[in-house]
Amino acid sequence: MTRVDRLRTRLTTAGRRLRRIARIARWEFGQSTSSYNRRTLAVIAVLVVVVASVGTSAVALGVASPSPNTDIYRVGVADNSPYNAVIDDHASLTARPPDRTALATGEIDLLIGGVRQPAAGPGPRSPTLLVEPADGEKGDAALTAFRSAVQSYNDRAMALEPNRTAAYPVVVELQYIPQSTLGPAAPTNAGNLTGDDAAADNADDSDGTDTDANDTDTNGTTSDADGGTADGGGDNTTGTDRTEGDAPPVADGGGGSLLDRALFGGGTSGSPAEIQPPFPFGSLLLAFLFLVPMNFVIQSYGSSVLNERISRRGELLLVAPVERLDIVAGKTLPYAAIAVAVTAVIAAAVGGGLLSVAAVVPIALTFLAATFLGAMFARSFKELTFVTITITVFLTSYVFIPSIFTNVTPIALISPLTLVVMELQGEAVSLGSYLFSTGPFYTSTAVLFLLGTGVYREEDMFSQKPVPLKFLDALDARLSGVRSVGVLTALFLPFVFIAELLAIAVLFVLPIEVSIPLLLVVIAAVEEVAKSIHIFAGFESDRFDRSVPTALLLGAASGVGFFVAEKFTAVAQLVGLPDLQLGQAALQPAGIGIAPSTTLLLLAGPLVLHTVTAGVSALGARTRLRWYLVSLVAATAIHAAYNLGVVTLYG
Amino acid sequence: MIEVSGLRKTYGDFAAVVGSEFEIDRGEIFGVVGPNGAGKTTTLKMLAGLIEPTSGTATVAGYDAGDPEMRHQLGFLPEESPLYEDMTARSYLRFFADLYDVPREVASERIESTLDRLDLEYRDRRLGDVSKGMKRKVAIARSLVNDPDVLIYDEPASGLDPLTTNSVLEFTEELREDDKTVIFSAHNLYHVESVCDRVVIMNEGRIIARGSVADIREQYGETTYHVYSDTALDATDPTADGRHRAVVETMAKVEAIQAAATDAGGSVTDIRTDEPSLESIFLELTGQQMPSPRTATDTEPTGEPTTEHEVEDAP
Repeated sequence: MTRVDRLRTRLTTAGRRLRRIARIARWEFGQSTSSYNRRTLAVIAVLVVVVASVGTSAVALGVASPSPNTDIYRVGVADNSPYNAVIDDHASLTARPPDRTALATGEIDLLIGGVRQPAAGPGPRSPTLLVEPADGEKGDAALTAFRSAVQSYNDRAMALEPNRTAAYPVVVELQYIPQSTLGPAAPTNAGNLTGDDAAADNADDSDGTDTDANDTDTNGTTSDADGGTADGGGDNTTGTDRTEGDAPPVADGGGGSLLDRALFGGGTSGSPAEIQPPFPFGSLLLAFLFLVPMNFVIQSYGSSVLNERISRRGELLLVAPVERLDIVAGKTLPYAAIAVAVTAVIAAAVGGGLLSVAAVVPIALTFLAATFLGAMFARSFKELTFVTITITVFLTSYVFIPSIFTNVTPIALISPLTLVVMELQGEAVSLGSYLFSTGPFYTSTAVLFLLGTGVYREEDMFSQKPVPLKFLDALDARLSGVRSVGVLTALFLPFVFIAELLAIAVLFVLPIEVSIPLLLVVIAAVEEVAKSIHIFAGFESDRFDRSVPTALLLGAASGVGFFVAEKFTAVAQLVGLPDLQLGQAALQPAGIGIAPSTTLLLLAGPLVLHTVTAGVSALGARTRLRWYLVSLVAATAIHAAYNLGVVTLYG
Repeated sequence: MIEVSGLRKTYGDFAAVVGSEFEIDRGEIFGVVGPNGAGKTTTLKMLAGLIEPTSGTATVAGYDAGDPEMRHQLGFLPEESPLYEDMTARSYLRFFADLYDVPREVASERIESTLDRLDLEYRDRRLGDVSKGMKRKVAIARSLVNDPDVLIYDEPASGLDPLTTNSVLEFTEELREDDKTVIFSAHNLYHVESVCDRVVIMNEGRIIARGSVADIREQYGETTYHVYSDTALDATDPTADGRHRAVVETMAKVEAIQAAATDAGGSVTDIRTDEPSLESIFLELTGQQMPSPRTATDTEPTGEPTTEHEVEDAP
């Protein structure tokens, strides 16, 4: 057969496969829609419309905002003052007629006076705004909020300025200096930093826009309320006098969309007062809007897959000349298409674009993949319900918790929803950030489908084994020899990565003294399970002989597989995760995020560690479950001790 | 058309099928019988490529049973064959025709012709709304939608009323005329006896007997002769109609009774042959009460010990 013939044959085969996939997809779509009667479909449609309407309206109008800051500061300002636009834009401020008596009686918290022109001679050379707060803490807080609002307004106005040089005449070169070189006396109080110190501080704070900006930052937002001097806007907010100047607001500056204001409190200056309360709400709302429809989709999808198994109807497809993968692809395609379509509609409704869709689609795919595997394991609809709820809770937590920290820390980029937030804020998202956020979802999706397809066969589909045993069967289905053990270990890495990132995100709120040791143990346990669970599955199915040499060989293969795959976690560097202490603790033991020379020294360490600990687990796995668990604990202890040693030495 | 050699399937310590060996010719209807758990369905599913054998080989229509290309040559009817109840018979068959890459015009013609042969009404009614017999006929039609050379029918008449059962069995016999090779499994041995050219009897995963129904009857059945005499003899017992009857197993004994009757001044008035049914043989074989076969050879290919007697095909 010539090369052309072979190519022709391949193309023909591929064409046939695609036709069959499309046919199964069409059939699946018909099946899933016909399983609901018209009344049910109408109710679902109404529910979706109501949820979408309420959600998007809440986002757009901000009426559902639980923020306690809404309109709490009353600001006396003249109708013709340009600062009216600033106040309108800020959720916590509301305009009132300027009246000094009202200020005295506490009816307003802040009075915006006129603008004092610069006098000749020494002193301020720019116009100064006269602002008078009411006596007391509320007056001070109102002044702070007003400053922040002005700065945010100006930042947005500058961001909209087509002439970038005019908008940002000052270019700040940021040079990141490793903490170790700063010495013990390095200042940590951001409020006292200026110049280079502020730059270093920004590296620590890593607000997401700075860390990937390399050395040149023309974005005025790098200046935050901590007194950094990198503000291109001539910020005078460090003064304590009650008459301050600021760049006059642009009358028609826009100040961001209504949605932007509702979601993110109308400001992007990065001050804690603005970031903390509105961001969880915005993220929660996005999580709600994007993830709730996915629950409908996975319920339908999971039911369809489980139905094929419980009624044994899937047997007829298996005996048809269709590859298992094609059957699964055909059955999944309609639900994936629906998920993408719904995501696109919601993204459009909240003002997002292609990036938002590209960020949320991998989440949807992971939802589907996890549901598919769960439906392949479940023995009844009751079990399937448990599985889908577990998936929903886990994935929702995973995408929601990190996104709380949007613009605060690179931890936020663990969640793809952060990319949506960034797009809505008009921030650029680097390819590295996108890969970091969505990579684990894409790879997890692939591995979950791979495992599920492995048990999409007569012998496993229709058996009534408990879920844990089915899980072991799914792992065993992908084992063939020693090399497959290493490959499977490597394929588990996305899950390890996800578990570790989730641990980082969850432990982030705890004190470092508590979170780091806890994290080290969690990471060790997760990695040891990932390296040994399939070895246990292989022994349980008698795929491998239970001798000590075999166990050690399999352990070594698994250790090497993990060691190689672990290097891909270097993607975390793209978003600056190793700059955080928790990030260091999580990644340093793998040689990520430390100096190249040190990495070389540490190269052998992880390899030996993973090989030894996987060998320990494998020795227990060759006997029975109890001894496997004992050996797993031992391996975790060794691993955690190693991690602690590395972090202590190099942290 | 089908060659099975040393086919074995184990699940952990449990052996579902142990070293099955048989060959089936084109146009033959081949029965696989045995009690529940004998390994019939596992054997059929290994032939259909649904279950991977632990060891041994199975070749169907020239393809390895695990080869996806083989499925183009195969029509499989599982014991439980639930349909997609929201589809009509036509749309259901059309769907499978598409999966088998049957051209649209050919599929339409074939579907209508098969449904005609099966006398299937309500072709555009939801399958959820038709009778069990109709559903089974649709399932049979589905097995033919790709015009396969080999058909594997696992309990095709299970749970059907007598009329539909006869219809299904007659249709199965007609397939022989179409030069189809059919493997037929059934609990009801009358069905097997009436349809199959050859059978294997399985028990506990092993083939314990094989051959044509006549061969098996000859090998395992004890044909008895009921000899009626008008004279009382030592070997006879009186019957209700006033005659005297002896039940013997060999023609030599029949001849001896004839001689004795003549000597006693009487004669033998009637000799009737009572042949065993396949069912009675099956019950004896699987009930561990093994009749003494005339020829017994261990055909266990793996050399494993077996408590059953296994025989070569009768000449």
